[in-house]
Parts: sequence; structure tokens; C-alpha cells
Amino acid sequence: MIAFDYVRPNSAKAAVDAITKDASAQFIAGGSNLVDLMKHGVVAPQKLVDISRLPLNSIEQSGNNIRIGALCLNSEVAEHALIKEKLPLLAQALNAGASPQIRNMATVGGNMLQRTRCTYFYDLAMPCNKRQPGSGCGALKGYNRMHAIFGASNSCIAVHPSDMCVALAALDATVIVAGSKGERKISFVDFHRLPGDTPEKDTHLQKGELITAVEIPVNDGFAKHSLYTKVRDRASYAFALVSVAAALDLQNNTIQHVRLAAGGVAHKPWRLMAAEKYLKGKSPTESNFKAAAEAAMSAAKGYGYNDFKLTLLPNTIIHTLKTIAGV
Amino acid sequence: MTNDNTQDKQEQPGELLETRRQFLKQSSAITAIALVAPALVDAAEKKLDEKAADIFEKVPLSIEINGKQHQLSVEPRVTLLDLLREQLHLTGSKKGCDYGQCGACTVHVNGKRVLSCLSLAVMQDGKKVTTIEGLATGSTLHPMQLAFIKHDGFQCGYCTPGQIMSAVACINEGHAGSDDEIREHMSGNLCRCGAYHNIVAAIREVNAKGGKS
Amino acid sequence: MGKFFERPLVPDDLDRVEGKEKVTGTASYAAEYDVPGVHYGVLVNSSIAKGKISTLNTREAERSPGVVAVVTHLNRPKIPFWDNPPEQQDNKRVEGQEFRVFFDDTIYFDRQPIALVIADTFERATYAASLVKATYKKESPSTNIKNNLDKALTAKQAQDYSRGDKDALKSAPVKIEAQYTTPFQVHNPMETHAATVVWDAPDKVTVYNKTQATKIAQQDIMRTFGLKAENVIVHSPYVGGAFGSSSRVWPEEMAALIGAKKSGKPVKVMLRRDEAFNMVGYRPTSVQRISIGAQSDGTMTGINHEAFGSTSQYEKFAERIVDPTKALYNCANVSTSYRLVPLDMSTPCWTRGPGETSGSFALESAVDELSYALKMDPLELRLKNFAEKDPDNGKPWSSNYLKECYESGAKKFGWKNRNPQPKSMQKDGWLLGMGMAAGIYHAGRSPATVSATLRSNGTLLVQTSVADTGPGSATIMTQIAAEAMSIDVRKVEFQWGHSTLPPAPGQFGSQTTASTGSGVYDAVKALQKKIAGMLSGKQGWAFSGLPVEDISFADEMIVDKNGDKVSYDDALKELSVKEIKAEFESKPTEEREQYSGYSFAAHFVEVLVHPETKMVKMNRVVCAVDAGRVINKKTAASQVYGSMVWGTGIALMEEGILDHRYGRYVNNDFANYHIPVNADICHVDVLFTDKPDPILDPMGAKGLGEIGLVGFAAAVANAVYHATGKRVRDLPITLDKLL
Ligand SMILES: Cc1cc2nc3c(=O)[nH]c(=O)nc-3n(C[C@H](O)[C@H](O)[C@H](O)COP(=O)(O)OP(=O)(O)OC[C@H]3O[C@@H](n4cnc5c(N)ncnc54)[C@H](O)[C@@H]3O)c2cc1C
Ligand code: FES
Ligand code: FES
Repeated sequence: MIAFDYVRPNSAKAAVDAITKDASAQFIAGGSNLVDLMKHGVVAPQKLVDISRLPLNSIEQSGNNIRIGALCLNSEVAEHALIKEKLPLLAQALNAGASPQIRNMATVGGNMLQRTRCTYFYDLAMPCNKRQPGSGCGALKGYNRMHAIFGASNSCIAVHPSDMCVALAALDATVIVAGSKGERKISFVDFHRLPGDTPEKDTHLQKGELITAVEIPVNDGFAKHSLYTKVRDRASYAFALVSVAAALDLQNNTIQHVRLAAGGVAHKPWRLMAAEKYLKGKSPTESNFKAAAEAAMSAAKGYGYNDFKLTLLPNTIIHTLKTIAGV
Repeated sequence: MTNDNTQDKQEQPGELLETRRQFLKQSSAITAIALVAPALVDAAEKKLDEKAADIFEKVPLSIEINGKQHQLSVEPRVTLLDLLREQLHLTGSKKGCDYGQCGACTVHVNGKRVLSCLSLAVMQDGKKVTTIEGLATGSTLHPMQLAFIKHDGFQCGYCTPGQIMSAVACINEGHAGSDDEIREHMSGNLCRCGAYHNIVAAIREVNAKGGKS
Repeated sequence: MGKFFERPLVPDDLDRVEGKEKVTGTASYAAEYDVPGVHYGVLVNSSIAKGKISTLNTREAERSPGVVAVVTHLNRPKIPFWDNPPEQQDNKRVEGQEFRVFFDDTIYFDRQPIALVIADTFERATYAASLVKATYKKESPSTNIKNNLDKALTAKQAQDYSRGDKDALKSAPVKIEAQYTTPFQVHNPMETHAATVVWDAPDKVTVYNKTQATKIAQQDIMRTFGLKAENVIVHSPYVGGAFGSSSRVWPEEMAALIGAKKSGKPVKVMLRRDEAFNMVGYRPTSVQRISIGAQSDGTMTGINHEAFGSTSQYEKFAERIVDPTKALYNCANVSTSYRLVPLDMSTPCWTRGPGETSGSFALESAVDELSYALKMDPLELRLKNFAEKDPDNGKPWSSNYLKECYESGAKKFGWKNRNPQPKSMQKDGWLLGMGMAAGIYHAGRSPATVSATLRSNGTLLVQTSVADTGPGSATIMTQIAAEAMSIDVRKVEFQWGHSTLPPAPGQFGSQTTASTGSGVYDAVKALQKKIAGMLSGKQGWAFSGLPVEDISFADEMIVDKNGDKVSYDDALKELSVKEIKAEFESKPTEEREQYSGYSFAAHFVEVLVHPETKMVKMNRVVCAVDAGRVINKKTAASQVYGSMVWGTGIALMEEGILDHRYGRYVNNDFANYHIPVNADICHVDVLFTDKPDPILDPMGAKGLGEIGLVGFAAAVANAVYHATGKRVRDLPITLDKLL
């Protein structure tokens, strides 16, 4: 690791200022992703702005929204009574991620901004457009078992590795960010971006912007019928091959509202809009779920080693929906 | 290298904490840098180079480890794990991967289990750290340590400090209600010798005896 | 042979003697010695897998703060054995030219060390290492075994084998034939390889390292640097797991030796996890073809097993991949061949259950396939072909309770409840499968020297250079000594893991108890004989002039035929000595040569497979093991639990993956190379026959470290087949292969 400067501002504003005036500075929260990347030499900020002690760590309900501070730890959110009751899908997704120790370090903001786990991205000797624009994509014709089946480009087929974000995408969360020009809100599905020709950019966040919170609308129907399924190569402490976050608002055996998102399949948490559209207003039957899964897969494309996801994802969607609906 | 007890704590609560390096840059040291810089490239001046680097790269750190207060001065890039192992010679916390993928480096910070390999030491300023060396009370072993011995919860012993720190936290968090729950909440600690079966037995027993700590 | 471990002096569930050190964090591993002035060595690794270094620029690194030296092939010190090779460089243990770090500009494998940067702190050394810049003349690497089978070679230790009629297979009424593959698997002990080196003088060195054999490490270092035995001290009491990977001196240790010499500082080098995948050994990948023929009653009439295993370009590493096939079944016609495929990788090495583990996956999967072809229960098929003596050489078994293992294992597991039809069983909506397999592992024994000293404070000191990488050898040796001496186990002090102690063989091949344990036993017996002789030689008391055979040791007393007794400390007082010491070299007996010695196991596995996602969950395991006499119940069971965890990893998730375009690893960390976590493991019942082997060694113990692994992966694969109807012949059984 290079030697770097370390500052610990005591307000969000001071933190934003510290970043804005220094091109090579970066926020650090839990450090569980950033320190790893710095050790690998993937990123090398010359200054770290420690935001971990900023007072952005409360969880509260106001009106129909639950607001979670960006510096809440993943474990705190997962164990919080309000979250367990109103947003069990989020609690499940958080508990499916990483390990207890990492969840005690990882923050909500940091989790959203964690980088891909693509091994070509991590290995400085390999080509990777995300790490070094123009160097090529090692995974495209290489070992791409973990990689994207949706929305990939010829420059990058990496996936976003977060579990929490899949639930947030399904739950229609909103991200609140503070920048030098004040606060703005970004809808969660627009927060992360697809790689296109600029895979070095993971999100639509502007340089210097600080995530301060996420807001999630509450739907009691969803709270009753939701499930996060994570499929991985071992029982725990592994990134998702695919994951599915699903919530159904069921009334009179009819799907009033439905939310479906998938993880491990795209450069961003992937909302399955076509499947949602198909299911809305229908009855919760296995055949409807199968048709919805099929609709979800229309734009999917495999790259060789990850072809199995073309079968695994629909199977996981069907399994998740069946389990929720009890059919 | 550590200069134990040599640095005063510089933090003034509520103020922007700037590192010593930053501070020096903004004051008269700017001229010092200008003067020293050519010397840095001169191998003959190695000594001076090191001294300069030492001053510029370190920041004060006040940290309580196993009940003992330390006033240290460390480079910001030093992880808590390397601080413990290489500077304070507390080698009980192990390095199994250095990338957050094994749990061998698990310690408690302010009572919570975390991975010391992904924690920067400077970020622990003002916090309380407990390592495996601080778990026993004098010569009386912690119930979890005794249970690990009794149930043969280890073989080579390398993952063991991390397992034990994690096991203690697992019970404190209330995640030791069943074997399945223990297994899930102990999955952040790899054991290549494969002592999992006995680790679960040890935790089950300590939990049953109400072994919170 | 005496009855072992039946008295309260030596409990058979003794806690580990080094337990307290391990649970308090005070046990010191190779990189944890507080050596004054120690400097940190960080390796720079090649970014290509094959070719030559064109330029190597170390200027910036050398000028970086805290750096004291950067060692490369361009500036390394002379190394006598490498630079002036005595006729041929052939290593005794592996055929070929051992790898010499920083020797010249040739790159043989991905991430080969090309420089060592030494600085006063770890952070500075790490940063400076990133400043070393190399350019290469690249060549295209070959790392895919399947594309290189035509380049296969024969190794000296791996000759073709055949008994009976090679063509018997052809006429068999029932026959199966299949190809199986196993991937690279990496030991990945939790402690990465490390060494701390202090040159005490130009011709004298102390090394704190990670070795399964302090004596082998000592000899290799002596040879390489041309040093005298007494000037090479190797210290390795605590080893954070090894599993075969610490059976020779590797580049990181040599680099530390060279770096410390060059810089004049004590140097420690600890590998990063990513470096440990292709530098310090691994299990070679294999391609195996098996055909088995049988009569319709299940009698096997012919087995053919052709295996290909990978090795490096510079050494021919051969393991025992076809050995189970030669000895497990009573089949008259068996032929095997084993070829090595050189790849542009570092040399593989012994990996827990070396050879047998990969070979038994193929053999025991094939036997399962045969059982379906015969419509016969796989357990019945195995019993039908049980070998009453070793079919390989016709010798009687020294002991063989495999049948008892089959029986007790099947009973505990409830094998009879299995519906033989694949895909026929379910539990909680998951597909349920039951599978079984057998294991066989050679019971070895080598010479071992041990010293035993009775001291005036009534304690017994036992010393030998053996390592304890985790199996519990220190504890078992303590028990054996206590029992042989008839002394309270708490009064035994056992010292191990140091090259200055009497020579013991390396801790591998499941032979430590048999070899070093016999050494301990024999040394204690020699000590008793010496004490008896001294007592009888002393004039004027009860024991004077008695034949030594009439003086015995029981319940912490020395007793003669007439019932006269003297305690151990009183005996020393009588003799006016502070201590009495005996050293003994224990060797396998000649009688042993007339028998065939093996450990055996029967594994029963139940898996659950998710009907939609195809995730595989281990649900229940029974391992019944014949490893002779069990000396310590706890550590013995732990060995089998550990093997089961290894077997689960090998069956379901472990696979070293290279991008063959670059010959470079793409999953060389714990996030991508999966080893089982706690949640992957299910309940295991371990059943020991616990019957002493009358031939192999005085304790009646056979090896235990590896037998639990041999056949295990096949038992899992067979259970997965039973659950799903899908036969996965290419390990690991990841869910994509079941979709
Ligand atoms: C071995 C391992 C396994 C893992 N497994 C999983 C898994 O299964 N599922 C999963 O979801 N995750 C997993 N993770 C990732 C883990 O969840 C992330 O590392 C963590 O969430 C990052 O949070 P942090 O606070 O530590 O972020 P940091 O490392 O501190 O920061 C990450 C990035 O976010 C930026 N940042 C942080 N906070 C803010 C903010 N408020 N505003 C603006 N920028 C900010 C930082 O500048 C940095 O670029 C795993 C990690 C490891 C090491
Ligand atoms: S060393 Fe920290 S998790 Fe492995
Ligand atoms: S005891 Fe060896 S790794 Fe756990």
C-alpha cells in the first residue's frame, strides 16, 4: 500500500469539503472493501477521509418511509426490530451477505459502493477495463462463471456483488446524497449503472458526493410475503451465483403488487420488471410463476462458464415465488 | 516502528483531525520537504530519508488493548492486525489471508467481533480492543478456552484464536440457540483442519451453561 | 505386546498437551518469533507463466524508505549447491531438477518469485515490492492437462502394473467404462508458508519455519548452502496446518535464507494467500479412465485403471493414484498405468491422502456405477469382492477389519432403509441420496530415534524431532511414553519440532504414530533396561545381582520378582544420579515384511439436493474406520472429522482454476477457492474398530491421518447420483453440473 494521509472530519459537510478539494481523496467507512482493494493495489487514494464516526447511523420511521443512515452497520440494520418487522426482506438479504464479522464493519453506504469481485479486476497483471480503461476485459472470453447475464457490454461483464442492494432494488428504495451543492435523491434502480463503454463508473454518484441515508417505503403486504434466496457454492460466506429478492402483496388470491430483483446477474442489482408486469393481477400459481420467470429471462445472455445461470436464475425465481406463496 | 508513549494525543474533540503529515506540510515543514526532497533520491542519504519518512507518515493513536492503554504513533496504512502482531508482539491474532476471507484475525473492538486485517489501526483511535491474549482473567482461562480444550476444538491451532473470539461473540450476540444457528454464525471463521464439529460442541456447551462474558 | 491405555495413569481421552498455548494465543508459529532486528521480506512475483525476464528494474524499490536490500537473480549471493552442482542435481525425493529461486532469468510458472524486497517494516517492504518493474519475453504456457495428454511421460516411481489376464475384461458379461477427472486442489493450511531466518555466522543459521520434518528441512538447507549439521538449526514446534505442503523446503524459505544472507539482517518472509496456490505444492489434477468387468453375481473379473496426473516441467512428481485399485478388491485381473503430464506450473506435492484420494474417487465411483449395472446393492458388491489377503502381493493382511467397518457403518447409518432406485427418496421437499464407498491407505513405518530421560524430580523427558502439525502427535507420544514407562501422564514432558532433537521421520503418510510412537516405546523400554541394569549392578540391596528381566516397572514403581519395590525418584537417589537417559533407534521389524499393512474405512453419506437450485447439502455421515488401536479417542475422532471436512470440500467445491490463455490462477484466494465453512458440515458419527494390529508396531496402531479421506469424495458423488440420477464424474460437484 502507498502511504496516504488520513483525516477524520466531524461533520458531513466537512467530509464533503475534504473530498471535494482533493482529487485523490476517498471516503472510508467500514473499510471492509476499500482496505482490501488498497492492499491489492486496485485503488490507491492519497488521502482517506474517515466518515465512520459521522452521526449518520440512525434507523427511524417517518410516515410511510423507513430511513436508514448510511453509516449504520449491516449487522445493526439486520438485527433492528423495525427492520425485522417491516422490511424482513432487507434483513434476510443482509444476513445472507459476508460473515458476522464483516457485517459488523460494513456500512449501508459502503455496501452500496462495494466494487465487483471479478478476479480480473483484482489482479493487476490481468486486463480489465473497469480497473484500467482500455486494457480489455479478461472475463469476456475467460473464466466468467460469476459474471453477468444481463446488461453486459463488450467492455465489461462484471456483476455487482451486494446482497443488500438486491433487496433495496426490490423495495424501491431512494438514496439520499449530500454534495457540495446540497442534497439530492436518487431512486435506487437508477443509482448503479450498466457498464457500457465506461465500466470504470459503477454508479451515478458524482465525485465528492456522500451517501447520507436510504429511504424505503413500507408495504405491510410485502412484509408478510417476501423472501431472499441466495444460491452459492457453499452454505455460507460466499458471494451469490444468483440471488432473488421477491415480495408479493397478495389479496384474495390475487397478486396486487409484486417486486422482483436478482443479484449476481448484472453490473447492478437487476429489477425484473417484465416478470413483475406479467404477475401483477394474476393468481399465485406455479404456472404463472414459470411464465414470469420465462419473461424475466428474455434478454439474458450467457458467456460460456456462466451459461448455467440461464437455468439457475429462472429456477430460483420460481422456487422463491412458490415458497412465498406457499404453493 | 512504534514509539510507545512518545506521542501526545492530538485529537481535539469536535475539530477536524489532520494528520501529523498534513500538519507538517502546512507549516514550516514545507521548507523542510523542499530541502530534503533531493536528498530522498540520494541513496547516500538513506538515514535522513528514513527519518523524514517516519515523521511524515505517522499519526498518533490512542488505543486500549486488553485493558491496557497505549499511546502510539503509526502510519495510517498499518492495519490493526499488523499493529498487534508486528509492533505490539501480540501474535495471538492470526493472519490467514489478510483480505477478510478467513476470520483468523478476528478480535473484538468495543465488544463487537471484527476482522483486524481489514481495519486500519488509526481508525480504532479511542476504542477498546480485546484479543485472544486478553480473554483469560489472569491464569484463569475463559470458559470458551476451556471448552475448546475439552472438546478438542482445534488441531493445528492456527484458526483457533479467531474461532474463540468469534465463538464468544456468537454467544453474546444470542446466535448460539441451535447447532444450525451456531454453524451459520461461525461460518466467518475457516478451519482447514476441519475442527468444526468440535467447535460447535464447545460453543453449545458454553452457551448451555449460560456462558456469556 | 502389552495392553495399552487401560489404566487411569493414561486416560485415552487426554486433552492435547499443547492445548493451553493454542487457546491463549501463546503458541508461536513460524512468523511469530520476536527476533531482534528482524526485517520483512516481500516477494515480487512474475506476471507471466512461461518465458524469460528481459529487464528487472529495482532502482525505485531500493530507494524506497526502509529498504535494505532487493534480491534478484542478478545480485543474489553464490549458493554452493546450485552454482557448483556436484555431478547431478537430482533430488532424492522428486525426480528432476528442484526449483531454484532467483537462479536465473527463466520463468517456469505463474507468480514465480523474481525478487525479494527487504525493509524494516512490513508496510514499507510491501510498498517497495510494488515498485519493482519487470519486462518479459513471453512464451505461450500449457496448463491444461486435457490438451496435453499426448505429452505424457512415465516416472521412475510409477511403473505400469498388471496381474492376471489383461483381456479378461473384454469377455465380462457386465462391464462399465468411464472417465473421471479431478481438478487442482490446494492444501491451503490456515497459516501460509513462512520462515524467519537468522544467520548467526556466515556458516551458521537458525531457521524458524513451517515444516512437517525439521530433519528434512535441515538436510536440504545444509546441502544447498554447504553447511555442517550442527550449524543448521530448524525450529518448528507449531505448524499452522500443512497436509503435505510442508514436506520440503520451498521458495519462500530459500528466499528468506538468501535475503538474510544478502542483507545481513534477520529476515522473515510470509507468503500472501494468493502466492500459496502455485509455489508451495498442491494436489495435481488428474484424468482417469476406469473399466471394471464382473460376472452377473457381482464377482469382479477385471479392472483397468489408466491415470494421468500433472507435474511441472522441471520435476516428475508421482503419487499413489492407482494404488487403491491394486489392493482393495479381490480381482484376479488388474492392470494399471500412470503417466505424468508436464505443465507450466510449479511442482505439485503430497496432499492429504496423496494419490489415493483422487484414485479412489474414480475407483469407488466406478464400483458404484457397476452396482447399478448389476442391479446389486453397492455394499453387497463390495462385500462380494472383499479381499481376504492382499491381492497385489498375496501377503496376508497384518490386520483387516474392513468387513466390520462395512457392517457397523451400515447399521449405524441405516443403509437398509435406502431405496436402491435413484431419485426415489425425499426429505422436506429436497431430494435425498445415500451413497457409500470404501477406503484403503498404506500403513507405513520408518526408522525413528527417540531419547528418554528419567529425572530426579520424578518426571520423564522424551525428545525427538518429530513435528506436530495438528494431528495431536505430541499428545499421543506423551501417552505412549507414560504407558510404556508406567508413569502418570502428567509427569511426562515431550519435546518435539526441533532439528537438534533425535531424528524422526517427517510427519506425513500417516506414519507418525507407528514410526515415532514405536521410537518412544522402544526408547522407554531401553531406558527401563538401563535402569534395571544399574539397579542390579549396585551392591548391597534388594535388586543386587538380579537378572534385568526380573525387574519390572509397574504403577510408578520398580518391582522385582519377590515383590520388593522402589519408586523412580528413590531409585535415582539410591544410584546417586540426577538422571538416566537412553536413546534408541527404532526400526520396522522383519516380520512386518511378510505382511501387508493398511488402514481401512467405510464411508456412508446422505446428501440433500435442492430440487430447483440443485444446491447440495451434506445431511448425515457415518465413517467406520479400522486404524488399529486408537490411542487417543479425541484426537483420533478429530482426524476423521477433519478428513470428512476435506472430503466435503473435494467432493463439492474445491477447484483451482487457471485462465489457460495466461497460465495464471484466477481463483487464488479464499473468496473464490472455496473450502468448507462450518455451515457446510453436518453431523458425523465416527466408529473405530479399535482393534490392535498385532504386527506393525508395539502399540497396534495403524495410520489415521488420511484414511478418512480416501473414498470419501466418491461416497458423496454416489449419494448425489442416488439423489438426482446424475452421475458427476468431474470433481467438484458444483450445482451447475446438476442443473
Ligand atoms: C470476504 C468478503 C465476503 C463478502 N461477502 C459479501 C456478500 O456475500 N454479500 C455482500 O453483499 N457483500 C459481501 N462483502 C462485501 C461487504 O459487504 C462490503 O465490503 C461492505 O459492505 C463495504 O462496506 P464498508 O462500510 O466497509 O465500505 P468501505 O470499504 O469503507 O467503502 C467502500 C466504498 O464505498 C465508499 N463509501 C463508503 N461509505 C460511503 C458513503 N457514505 N458515501 C459515499 N461513499 C462511501 C468508499 O469510499 C469506498 O469506495 C464481502 C466482503 C468480504 C471482504
Ligand atoms: S486474516 Fe483477516 S480474515 Fe483472513
Ligand atoms: S485448527 Fe488448524 S485451521 Fe483450525
